[in-house]
Amino acid sequence: MAESWGMVIDLDKCTGCQACVVACQSENNIPINDEGLFNQRRAIEWIRIERYWEGEFPDVKARFIPILCQHCADAPCEPVCPVFATYHNNEGLNVQVYNRCIGTRFCANGCPYHVRFFNFWEPEWPDSLKNQLNPDVTVRSRGIMEKCTFCVQRIRRTGRKAAQAGIDKSDAELERGLNPACVNACPTQTLEFGDMIDVLTAVKEGTRLPDEPKSKAGAKVKKELEEDGGRGYRLREQLGTNPSVVYLRKVDEHRKEVVTHG
Amino acid sequence: MALTRRQFLTLTGGATAAPIIFLACGVPAEELLVEAPLEMPEDLVSGLDNWYATLCRQCGTSEGVVVRVMEGRAKKVEGNLDYPVNMGKHSARCEGGLQDLYHPDRIKGPLLRSGERGTGQYEEVSWTDALGRLNLQLSQLQSSRNQNSMVLVTNPIGGHLGMIAETFASKFGGRYMPYEPVERTNLKAAIKQVFGQDRIPDFEIENANYVLSFGADFLNTWVSPTRYARGYGEFRQGDRERGTLVHVDSRFSMTGANADSWIHVKPGMEGILALSIAHVIIKDGLADPAAAQALTGGSNLEEFAPESVAAKTGVSAETIEQVAHDFASHKPAIALGGGSAGAHTNGLFNLTAIYSLNYLVGSVGQPGGVVFTPAPPLSEIANAPSSSSYQDWADLVNDMRSGDVGLMMVRGADPMHGLPGTLGFRDASYDVPVIVSFSNIMDDTTAMADIVLPEHNSFEDWGTDTPDAGPGYEIVGFQQPVVRPFFEGRGEHLGTRGFADILLAAAQGLSLDLGLAGETYKDILQGSAEKLFALNRGSVRAGDFKSFWNGMLQRGGWWDVNAKASGGVPAPQRLPEAEEPRFDPAIPGRFNFHLSPFSSTGIGEGQGAHIPWLQATPDPITSATWLTWVEINIRIAEDLDLREGDVVRVTSPRGSIEALAYPHPGIPPDVVAIPMGQGHVAGGRYAEGRGANVFSILSDLTDESTGALAWSATRVGIEKLDKWIRLPKFENSVPDPPEDEEGLVIEVTSDDS
Repeated sequence: MAESWGMVIDLDKCTGCQACVVACQSENNIPINDEGLFNQRRAIEWIRIERYWEGEFPDVKARFIPILCQHCADAPCEPVCPVFATYHNNEGLNVQVYNRCIGTRFCANGCPYHVRFFNFWEPEWPDSLKNQLNPDVTVRSRGIMEKCTFCVQRIRRTGRKAAQAGIDKSDAELERGLNPACVNACPTQTLEFGDMIDVLTAVKEGTRLPDEPKSKAGAKVKKELEEDGGRGYRLREQLGTNPSVVYLRKVDEHRKEVVTHG
Repeated sequence: MALTRRQFLTLTGGATAAPIIFLACGVPAEELLVEAPLEMPEDLVSGLDNWYATLCRQCGTSEGVVVRVMEGRAKKVEGNLDYPVNMGKHSARCEGGLQDLYHPDRIKGPLLRSGERGTGQYEEVSWTDALGRLNLQLSQLQSSRNQNSMVLVTNPIGGHLGMIAETFASKFGGRYMPYEPVERTNLKAAIKQVFGQDRIPDFEIENANYVLSFGADFLNTWVSPTRYARGYGEFRQGDRERGTLVHVDSRFSMTGANADSWIHVKPGMEGILALSIAHVIIKDGLADPAAAQALTGGSNLEEFAPESVAAKTGVSAETIEQVAHDFASHKPAIALGGGSAGAHTNGLFNLTAIYSLNYLVGSVGQPGGVVFTPAPPLSEIANAPSSSSYQDWADLVNDMRSGDVGLMMVRGADPMHGLPGTLGFRDASYDVPVIVSFSNIMDDTTAMADIVLPEHNSFEDWGTDTPDAGPGYEIVGFQQPVVRPFFEGRGEHLGTRGFADILLAAAQGLSLDLGLAGETYKDILQGSAEKLFALNRGSVRAGDFKSFWNGMLQRGGWWDVNAKASGGVPAPQRLPEAEEPRFDPAIPGRFNFHLSPFSSTGIGEGQGAHIPWLQATPDPITSATWLTWVEINIRIAEDLDLREGDVVRVTSPRGSIEALAYPHPGIPPDVVAIPMGQGHVAGGRYAEGRGANVFSILSDLTDESTGALAWSATRVGIEKLDKWIRLPKFENSVPDPPEDEEGLVIEVTSDDS
């Protein structure tokens, strides 16, 4: 096994600024979400910021959480695909093969995180805006399911660079090229990305976490999972999906009661 | 071994591909990946990319960015890891530069008005023709000794471009008026008064323990949000104790949402609240005695005791005591203010009182406090960018009406959209014989222009910037073209030019000596770069100038982390006399709400309205996009029988607009908030005729001490219309998580870890 890419999201840092959202759209050729698409509830955001209200004026809180494909090790979207358009690759990525997809949308129904988006329409750009499209990323046509890829094109490109230089692609020097667009953009460094195979495997198998995790992101997860009062959790973990994304709880000094959601 | 369908496909795919590939010897096994049937087109090699460092000019404070260029096209913007302002990070607005560059409605070449002014009828002309016409206008003013009737309007620009614009205007004998829709006049004046500085200081949030902010939505849109957000990440969960953020605001902003406590204050009472905090700090002996003496002259501000101001400010006495104690006992602590706190008739007083708090806790000039940025080591661009106040614009409108403005040239600014409707700038512009625009988008002002000389997008042009707010040491950011001008060589009359080069050409045509060292903009920049080279210090050093120049362009500029502000801590000045805000006279039952306009996350104050990504960027709090909404307290909305999407008429004494209701759990009951930036009459397919322009109903109250517009001092009434439009928002695009016991999405801990 090569790598298992994962992400750590520190909710105590997230301000909800949307930098990740726009960076993702720019990198991944996401069609322009026009007014109509929002109204039809068909806007596509591979990474999105959800906002949850707590309370009401004057004791009001708004909390933010970035949600993207969790790249689950036991992904509910994978077994339901009749054409193997979505599968798990050997780098821990939940991959979507566009030219296999026939648009049954079973995967979207299966996904408990609602991170899969269906192209109800053919994506359209005015001619001049097509100059900006990323040549490394396929433009998805109508009838195709799409979702966050952890910017697989960047992982591939970095892999080639690493091979040329004879170093490992997880090398710190290549970090910027390897990171998904959202991670590089995030002004508060809420998002961190890296190879978390050692940590994620230990978590999945319930064994001891590695002494020296391979990546910075992994080390962070280890710290937050092991420490007393550590902040690590995975989204809707109880469903047994084994997500590769680890969230760190938001800290609220003034929290009066246990808060769930809504 | 049982073979699964998937394994079967993998094996057969690999088996067919392998012999073919290995026919060409020497192909590494790695390449097998590329041809494997399960791989996507993403895995194919598509060519080489280059990343060029330059500056993002989408908003006021330039961020250093690197732009990915493939086959001569800009593809992606990312933060420049080296650049001190944003250190590798970038905001949603930076990406907008790409869609600005390839905007379908970009003006492709010089235009000449062919119909009535404002009807949008133009004919294409050549650059020679257009520049000739501009020069004719300028030389006519010269020969009639009427140079003073030329007005050059730009956005507030630092660096060489601002210097060239200012020099051009002054050497010609005209007026130079930098324009910004949300003016920093009061902020700049307060910084000057409190700290004696021309530049906005740096707030070292990353090293602070306590941040007390008033009105400034600094994590979202205020001054240098990416820099502040980067500091905020460290402040929350860096290698240090977790800091505390308290936000005082009359509106529930994004910064308020992220604060540990959001303190709701009555509009315009921020300064009085700050004095009350100062009173508690001094009374309880927590203040630096020398600073307290200098600020108050020995009084302990008894008249601002928490009990006396609680009713006035709407903040309880206990809260004031608590905040004052926490602020003074969690050093280093920063007090900062701006946004709506400075946008009242007492804005200067508010901000002065707020920033003075920094002296009481000894944060001025200290790490984790308020740190000053020195001027760059180039005398030609040493001045901080300035902007004209509302009063200056009001004076200009009078001059326009009386025929004293013969030629108006506008660059990077859209005053027809952003100046309050009550000023009548648009009407007065009919009295200006010639309007020239340098915009590359047909914005509201350009649509009224007679001659359009479209300038390059910032990715096609040279430039420099001295960021304001800077990083706390000397810096000159360099901007280089990363792609060839998009319309170059595409047709006889097509093409754009750099704004500086247009001005230089105009000056040459008039035989006007600007006294600049160089014929072209690039020459001038290189001349200044040679001075930096000669300093032989800072981030880039080289043996010869050529390597220095290349090295500097590669890194995005020059800075010297050791060249900090000298002169020590400026002495604290006496606090100003307290002043209460004024509003339009309240007519019972008519204007029941305070209007709090706010800059949009995506489109700012309208600068990004033509960019589809930014239009589609959800507002962090409401998740609304594309249209104009009005945030109304959820209980008030119930009383008024308003649901989300109900069209309401928002009426001020100066006019009315229509917006979609958004019942909001966070906003105070006596405040309504409307985002800025929509309601353009022109601006291309993504901006035109969309939403409503909140500037059009603003009251023209000003802070008389500075002439700044009190854009938060308007009062409005709300009236439900018999119409409903779906509010385009991202919220509810995906289903809510089920409400079961374990369906936690956001988990929150009260442990301070």
